[in-house]
Amino acid sequence: MHRRSPLPLLLAALVALPVLFGVAYAALAVLGLTGAGATGKLDWTRATALLTDRTTWRSVSWSLYVATVSTAIATAAAAAVALLFPRQMRTDRIARSLATLPLPVPHLVAAATALMVLGQSGLLARLLFFAGVISEPGAMPPLVYDRAGVALIVALAWKELPFLAVVGIAMRAGVSRDLEDAARTLGATPAYVARRVVWPLLWRGLLPAVIATFIFAFGSFESAVLLAPVDPAPLPVLTMERFADPSLARRGEAYGLALIALVVGAFAVAVHEWTRARWGALVK
Amino acid sequence: MLMLAACSTDRNTGDANSEIAALRALPWDSVEARARGTTVTWRKWRGDPAINAYVDGWIASRLRKRFDIRLEAVEGQGPEIVNQLVIEQEAGRGRGSASLVWVNGETFANLRTESLLAGPWAGVLPNAAYIDSASPIITRDFEQDPAGYESPWGTVQFALIYDTMRTPNPPRTFDELATWIRAHPGRFTHDQGFTGITFLKMLMYARGGGVAAFAGGFSETRYAVGRSAVFALLDSLRPGFWRSGSTFPPDVAAMHRLFANSEIDFSMSNNQYDVVNKIRQGILPATARALVLRDGTIANTHYVGIPFNAPNPAGAMVVANFLLSPEAQFEKQKPDVWADGTVLDVSAVPEPWRTQFATAEADPRAVPRDTLARYARPEVSPQYHERLSTDWLAWVRSGAGARRPASRPEPPSEILPAMRQAVPSDSRP
Repeated sequence: MHRRSPLPLLLAALVALPVLFGVAYAALAVLGLTGAGATGKLDWTRATALLTDRTTWRSVSWSLYVATVSTAIATAAAAAVALLFPRQMRTDRIARSLATLPLPVPHLVAAATALMVLGQSGLLARLLFFAGVISEPGAMPPLVYDRAGVALIVALAWKELPFLAVVGIAMRAGVSRDLEDAARTLGATPAYVARRVVWPLLWRGLLPAVIATFIFAFGSFESAVLLAPVDPAPLPVLTMERFADPSLARRGEAYGLALIALVVGAFAVAVHEWTRARWGALVK
Repeated sequence: MLMLAACSTDRNTGDANSEIAALRALPWDSVEARARGTTVTWRKWRGDPAINAYVDGWIASRLRKRFDIRLEAVEGQGPEIVNQLVIEQEAGRGRGSASLVWVNGETFANLRTESLLAGPWAGVLPNAAYIDSASPIITRDFEQDPAGYESPWGTVQFALIYDTMRTPNPPRTFDELATWIRAHPGRFTHDQGFTGITFLKMLMYARGGGVAAFAGGFSETRYAVGRSAVFALLDSLRPGFWRSGSTFPPDVAAMHRLFANSEIDFSMSNNQYDVVNKIRQGILPATARALVLRDGTIANTHYVGIPFNAPNPAGAMVVANFLLSPEAQFEKQKPDVWADGTVLDVSAVPEPWRTQFATAEADPRAVPRDTLARYARPEVSPQYHERLSTDWLAWVRSGAGARRPASRPEPPSEILPAMRQAVPSDSRP
């Protein structure tokens, strides 16, 4: 057996080092040791101000809510596409293509489109007005800059769907036909096969992508800045707001918020690892 | 050498400062000779196509032909400029990425505090002789002495924007505006950015004893008085704001869009001529007009500065001098170019520019020059802006008023005391 090449380790370091440096820099900046407005002395005021500020936690919870709901919608839709249209028939192929259509659309374009379609004077409001559903375009319920985050959730889910659908479709195609046939031969109904054979295999393949899209949605700035309300502010928007605060002393707080976002992301990854470990144990 | 650098008390004594010191001693044509064949990278706000066209087209082509300078304008404004320079400063010695930055107000204050600007150099520009040095709006940047660390480029004045078709008799004072908002719930808002905070600062002047009450540096006690006046009025008006004041448009562009789509009846801009520009671009309706409130509207000047680590200070000085030339200032002022006010004393510039400035036709859609001048008010210490901006965000996020329906024009008197309590107690310095 020959020695392992150090190349993979080097490449891994190349990926990990910027993150480690970033975390270290952010920690120094939030403690007032570096960055704009830093005094160079250890100073806990930024960190305590952040952690005790209601705005921070409202922002974190709102971003969690938006990321969870949009990812749930996209996951459900992607799974439905994969499960309902698995065959090589024409209708199935068209359905699969349609689900992956938004893939090349940039997030910024998706968000701007949501703004134009779902705004109170937007396309949807005008259509509903002409259809006589609402008395005036202004009577449209606010979907943009609203606290329910409807337009933001729609835009994020619409952009997440194709990514999850591509993974889901590939996973579904990977489920061996023999496995399904075996189950059917043993007397399982098609619904039972879908629930106990196809779905667990699909879900295990889909989960990493779901976690990735969740973290992406949680940290998405460009859609949030266009569609979210000022209160509660989405975490990425609040972070940028602090980073551009007219008062230099406050800019360090942006790094604290970035670290909070990192903790949330790390937690999501941990949940994923834990779930996979549990699956591993079940197989044994 | 490294030891010396480490021991130096001023960690910013970079090359640009010493180079500028050397350039100051040279005759101007030697500065121009040094700038020949170089590139000047200019970090500036790139959000307006009209400004970009003027800079990338008109200015850049003349710099190239006359001075053999390549001008490269890159994106970056206010806080981004400060953050970028802080990062470059931390990264250590060596030249930075930009030789010229477009700044004013709190950005200038931040850059000066952190010693991120090189200078003084603005006084040696030959065209600086034409600057309107009698105007306090030009010679003071948010009450700060530019001290040669920035050179004026243009002036703007705040204006409300309304549609003559929708609002034939617009309010002319803050009191009339308050009455109008109460009578038309859901039709007024301001943006969350610089323009919106400027609007609130004008409100602070109007309700807090005029600009004189806030002049002469930041005062905690005077701010406390102004702040309570501003937020008391905002509290009482909040139910009448667009979306009941639960949210505000993120920026002026979003506010213009809401205005153009008739979701609100007023927009606003930090440039009195913006309305003419935006009508031409088809963003605002042709019947839109600017409006100057009789309580006074804030006018300020924007400047260009040279970063402490500028790779090309000589080129930057030549560009700054050209920006100040009567020719470039006249072009910039044209309504169909940018419509940005000049910083020159137009009676002092040489011919033919004196006649050109004197006979320049004002756009009939714009607010007349004498009206603008009469109601212009200077900026005060940038700290007022910072504090209002922080306190306003805290106010919005306090959640008061958000749960009230938009249709209710006035809150019942019994909940007013509760709303007052929602005014932020104090913000950090």
